[in-house]
Formats: sequence, structure tokens, C-alpha cells
Amino acid sequence: MRKYPLLIIGGGLSGLAAGIRFARFGQKVLILEKHSKAGGLNSYYYRKGRLLETGLHAITNYASPEDKHAPLNRLLRQLKIPRRTVKLRQQKTSEILFPGRANLCFSNDFSMLQLQIAKRFPGSVKQFAQMLTEIDAYDAFAPRPKVSARTFVATFLQDRLLLEMIFCPLMFYGGSDEDDMDLSQFIILFRAIFQEGFFRPEGTIKDLLGLLLQQYKNFGGEIEFSSGVKEILTENNRISGIRTDAGEVISCDDLISTAGFPETKRLFSVPEAAAAFSELPEDKTSGRLSFLESIYLFNKSARNHLPEDRTIIFYNLSEKFSYRRPDDAVDLNSGVICFPDNFERNRQGDTIQMRVTHLANYEKWLHAYQDADTSRYPAMKTDWTERSRKVLGKIIGNCSENIVYEDSFTPVTIERFTSRTQGAVYGSSEKIKDGRTYFANLYIAGTDQGYLGIVGALLSGVTMVNQHIFNKM
Amino acid sequence: MTIDEIKKVLLEIIQDIDDEADLENLNPADALRDQLDLDSMDFLDIVMELRKRYQIQIPEADYPQLATLDSCVNYLIPRLKAA
Repeated sequence: MRKYPLLIIGGGLSGLAAGIRFARFGQKVLILEKHSKAGGLNSYYYRKGRLLETGLHAITNYASPEDKHAPLNRLLRQLKIPRRTVKLRQQKTSEILFPGRANLCFSNDFSMLQLQIAKRFPGSVKQFAQMLTEIDAYDAFAPRPKVSARTFVATFLQDRLLLEMIFCPLMFYGGSDEDDMDLSQFIILFRAIFQEGFFRPEGTIKDLLGLLLQQYKNFGGEIEFSSGVKEILTENNRISGIRTDAGEVISCDDLISTAGFPETKRLFSVPEAAAAFSELPEDKTSGRLSFLESIYLFNKSARNHLPEDRTIIFYNLSEKFSYRRPDDAVDLNSGVICFPDNFERNRQGDTIQMRVTHLANYEKWLHAYQDADTSRYPAMKTDWTERSRKVLGKIIGNCSENIVYEDSFTPVTIERFTSRTQGAVYGSSEKIKDGRTYFANLYIAGTDQGYLGIVGALLSGVTMVNQHIFNKM
Repeated sequence: MTIDEIKKVLLEIIQDIDDEADLENLNPADALRDQLDLDSMDFLDIVMELRKRYQIQIPEADYPQLATLDSCVNYLIPRLKAA
């Protein structure tokens, strides 16, 4: 029987980071990844010879190389990746657009947002500044009970429109709760998105994953693809190892699961062990928020219509911004429009990419997918993508005739390829902030540990190994 | 190991953690943390690297004794005698 000091379930960003961290100091570690590629929620696929990214719009937490304490730079040092070897492209300008009511632009220079608020919401300047003082002083990483961020923000900002505009990008890029979020999560996202800002690495997510995989292998780490975990095995109230889908039993001293909290619970086949891990029923821990995402490639003539200086547009058309599982299959009243080419130093290619994200109802998509009539699901995709294009036409202008390629994925696609139940990309609304579980040698890392985004996922893997595994050795 | 050898190893480890660290102007009697602009995650790396290279265990309670370059050396002398 194979035995490892550390086993990691999942070769996404948090699993890779945890693996690099552990392998760096000469320890044997194995990552088991169910999919044939690394990346988890942030992976890639090929269609007609083109590489398309699954999740990446932008990476948050931009920091200049001199800012040594910034999360991004601390993270790179921990992974032993020299900052100057990674080329980063900063965003141009992003926009929160509530048509007919207000818009706010922001960039990686936080003062742009402050000036925009001063211009559009002069009565709220003082309150916004007071809120910033509170945010700056807040330790968002200390474990503490859940507090409503909406209530917190509302004590400062009396203008509901401004409050909703501030929440809109933060929810779309990390919200795992409906219409509210935990205050710590809000503060992490506020800093990551507004105060630090967006960037993309040169190349695609495949290059970033390649860099991480290479680093992991250089340190002697092992990874096996198409190797799902069927079951977590316990013995005397401890994790003794896992059984793979292929039936192999591998034992370990410690186990880190990046599969998600409810997804990890499912891996206990002994009911007592599952109940000990968590008494909460799955419907209480599964995230309810998932998305329909469409990827468009336009020919060059679209350049005349498309905004060249906008990186990401977060829009909302309804009177009250709603961030919850919609009653319909898709909520077209709000969405994210991302132009991955509109980052600095972009080489102009032969096509222009646009990605559009809307909130979607997992159950509606699942029913269509499971329908005996196999044409129903693809027809529903076509129908909703067309409707989405009509709405987008009103916001950025009609570009339908310039489309050379398009593809969409639904909550069901996300669930199938990432094993996240209900396609909940931001995971469970219950976060395990310290990563600990009932079992003393099982830890949760990744989205359900509560750090968000790509930098967050990587930091989660690093932190769990630093805090829990190195200390025990 | 001699005092100078230990010092050399420590500087090498710090340089490896942050290749831009200004070691030339390091005052051995002052706190490393203030001079190098590094945080607790980086300091864990010094401990882990010493463990990897010389199999010495440094319990968390002893971390304060690693505050300056001089105090690090003093702490390590008896532990690296045979190394």
C-alpha cells in the first residue's frame, strides 16, 4: 500500500499551492485530481483548436513588486516564484453600470472610485470615508461568527443605490450567500477588487497552471490526473487514507480536501463518520449561486463597436439589485461583461473575446439536462444565450453579426467538470475559516475555507499547510 | 559549525526567501523583521529550511529567540555543533 505524509484531494489552485508548500521542504506529497487537467474551477478546454478558459475573467489583488506585504507578493514568496519573473497586465477601467440611474468607474488606482463617488454621490462622501477607516482596521482573517455585511455597510451608506453598486461587483466575484455576505468576506473582496484591483497574467490560465505544476514537480511533488477519490477512510476517529475510484487504497498522515465542504462530506461512506464530520444536511451547506457564462469571439470589425477602454462592466437593470438564485433559468437583469483583451499591453489578435455571466438556476438547468428529450437542454442554452445577447445589445451595442465563435456553459456544466454541487462556484455559504474539521488530520482548503478568488485560493492552500501541517511535524 | 558558518547559512537562507533583501546593511543586533520588511510567513520559511537542511526542530515557543541575526546564531550554536 502506498503511503504519503500528505494527500491532497483536488489539483485546483488551492491544492497545487498546498502541494508546492509541502513539497518545498522535502516532504513527499500526492495530489489526486479527478479531471484530466489541473485548475479545478479555473481551468481551460479546447474548441476548434482554440484554447478557452473556463472561469478566469481577471485575477484580483494586484500589487506592485515593491509592496512586499501585499497578499499577492507574500503568496509568490511562499511559492518561491520570483515576482519579477511573472509578467502581469493591469486592467484598464472597469465600471459598475446601473443604466438610467448611475455609473461608477474604478481602476487599480483606488482614488478613481473615490472621485467617482464624490461626483455621483456627493452626500455620501463622508460616510464612505468613515466606512473605509473601519475596513482598513478590520482583521478579516480572524475566525469569528458570521456578521451581515449589508447591515455593516448600511450603517454608513444611507443611499441604497450606492450600497447596491458597491455590493454588485463583490457579489458577482465571490458571493456565496444570497443578497448579503459575511462581513469578513465583504472586506476581503472590497480590498481585493477595489483597493488592490484586477490583473491578468501574460498568456492564459494554462500558462499560470503550467508554472505552478512545474514548481510542484521541481520540488518532487506527485500528481495523478483522472484519479478521483471515491471514499475517505477513517480509523479510530482519524483519517487513515482514501480509496480511489480505481479501488486503490492510499494511506496518509494528513489529508487536505479542496473538494468543498459538502462535497467532502459525501466522501465518507460510513454514516457515523459523515455525521461526525458535519451534522448539517447538504441543503444547508450547498451553495445556491451559480451562473450561465457565454464566451464570444468577435472578428476585428467589432472593434468599432466594442468599448476598448473597459475591462469589466458589472451591470444591473432592475430597480433593486438582486443577487440570488433566480426563479427563471437565468436572470438577465444583471450580469458581468468581461473583455479579457482590455488589459494593458495587450497584443491585438485576430479576434476579440467577450465573456458574459448571469446568475442562473441550477435546478432548472438540471431538469433540462436530465430530460428524456435530449434536445431540450441545448435548445434552452440557445434560447437563453439569444435573450442574453439582446440585453447586451442595449448595454454595449449590437455585435451579433461579428461573432465568429460562441460557447456557453451552465450550472450543470460546472458541476460535471468541477464536482462542485449545484455548480456553486463560490462554494458553500458556510465557510470553515480555520480549515479544521472534526477529524484532527483532515483540513479544508480552497473556496470553502473562505479566501476568495485565485490569489485567495492559492493563499488558502499555503496557509493550511503552514498553520496545521508544519506545526505538527 | 562555527559562528561564521552559521551566519553565512542564515544569510543564504534569507537571500533565498527574498532575493532583493538588503543583507549588506543588516545590523546583526537589530530585529530582522524590521530591517528586511518580511512577515511571519517568511520567518516560518527560515525555520522550515533549517529543519530541512539540519533536521533541527525549533518549537514555536522559541521563535522569539530568532529575532535578530545575533540571537539566531546564539540559539543555533549548541544545536548545530555537530553539523
